[in-house]
Amino acid sequence: MAMQTKERPVPNGVVLELSGDLTYANREQFKTAVEAIRQKGCRHLILNMADVRFVDSSGLGLLALVSQNFKLSQGKVSMLKPQSYVREIMSLANIQKLIPVYDNEQDALAGQQRAA
Amino acid sequence: MKTVLVVDDEPTARIAMAARLKRLGYRVIEAVDGKSGLDALRRERPDLTILDWMMPDIDGPAFCERVRQDPELLTSQILMMTSHDQPEQIAEGLARGADDFLSKAASKYEIMARVQTGMRAASLIRRLEDVTEEIRRKQQMLERELQSAARYVESLLPVSGTIGPSVQMVCLYRPSLALGGDLFNIVSWSDDLLGLYLLDASGHGVSPALRSASLSTFLRRESLLRHIGSSDPGAILTEANKHFPLTENGHYFTIAFATLDVRCGTLSYATAGHNGALFHRRSGEVCWMAKPNLPLGFDPTTSYLTEELPVAPGDRLYLLSDGLYEVPNSNGDLWGQGRLEETIRRFGTCPLAEVVPGCVSEAIRWQGHEQFPDDVALMGVEVMDTDT
Repeated sequence: MAMQTKERPVPNGVVLELSGDLTYANREQFKTAVEAIRQKGCRHLILNMADVRFVDSSGLGLLALVSQNFKLSQGKVSMLKPQSYVREIMSLANIQKLIPVYDNEQDALAGQQRAA
Repeated sequence: MKTVLVVDDEPTARIAMAARLKRLGYRVIEAVDGKSGLDALRRERPDLTILDWMMPDIDGPAFCERVRQDPELLTSQILMMTSHDQPEQIAEGLARGADDFLSKAASKYEIMARVQTGMRAASLIRRLEDVTEEIRRKQQMLERELQSAARYVESLLPVSGTIGPSVQMVCLYRPSLALGGDLFNIVSWSDDLLGLYLLDASGHGVSPALRSASLSTFLRRESLLRHIGSSDPGAILTEANKHFPLTENGHYFTIAFATLDVRCGTLSYATAGHNGALFHRRSGEVCWMAKPNLPLGFDPTTSYLTEELPVAPGDRLYLLSDGLYEVPNSNGDLWGQGRLEETIRRFGTCPLAEVVPGCVSEAIRWQGHEQFPDDVALMGVEVMDTDT
């Protein structure tokens, strides 16, 4: 399934709404969307995963890559509301150690404030 | 020069059309009936065929039908000539395989225009055929490269058999068509101390196979002694994690590494994002060994911890790739770790040489065909009784 991305500015960050599958086939689209946000100087990227049905092994790698790249530019990445299947895949690879997971936007933004 | 074949049994009309076409600058071949027309079409492969409807034996529509049934000829462009121009007749001609119509009463301008249209279609079809052929050739080349990379990976793998005085190993590797990056091997520290690992590079194609080969070089005995100086699985993965960062496309490895100390009766192990490690005690107890943790390259500061299990004769270790159990049946349900575990349990104390291929057969039965979507690698290791 193809992927759609939509960005929305929030105080001190950008929420990237994702829908579709985060997989090998959609890697370029995801990378381009995220890289554009990073280059604009965003310090906190919040990936809204509520409409993502599936993440494959390439998708996991991309999430790790995004988190590393943001860290390099003194930023951070958080994740919102992953579906249970996606949450399970990510917890097997311990992704939440790199990208904290939140159930709502306020908590994700508060997480940023605590970290700052 | 573009070639036109004119098929007409009536000499006057045929010669007149041929002369006209020659004046327009085309090379012209003439055929006096349907049969010799088909022969000429096969022999000369003209760009366009102008065909009379009314002919003895094989008439125009029958000619078209034969062309469309012949895989060699079916893309030929055919312009059918008729003295009738009833809509029903035109519809019948098109339905039976003509591409366009030309009235016998057509002016020279109309003939010129129709022939040019036919030529345009013919050259588009030719280009399409050429491009299709080119893609087919490249596809073949790519498949040959993947096969040769798969053979190379296979050449790096260990051979089933006795790998220590009292340790037996049975392994199986089935590369997928697209070739993943599975690789496994043994590191012989000494007769009684064996390193065993299975790794999976993310992605498909030649690139993960190359990355796997590079990690397996790092995991050779001499290299490990130089870089780490110990057989401790956690220390080995912690060091490997620093040497193999994420690629620029976010590619990485998952791996399970175990060190079997036969003399002390211990199995120490560490995993990095790799779930395919299962311990089967002779008593029947089965446990999955992996804990949730990051794959290699996700975070350069990660420390991988070594866990330890006591090992007794008859106990077995299985290292495997997710390609073995992430196989969907026709409903899309995955075979899964649970069913694999159940299969291993059911085999009980059957010889390893039956269990390893038996698990793969069960996965094949589940998916209903032989071709796995991803690489499949499975290595079973058993500690034997020393006194027998």
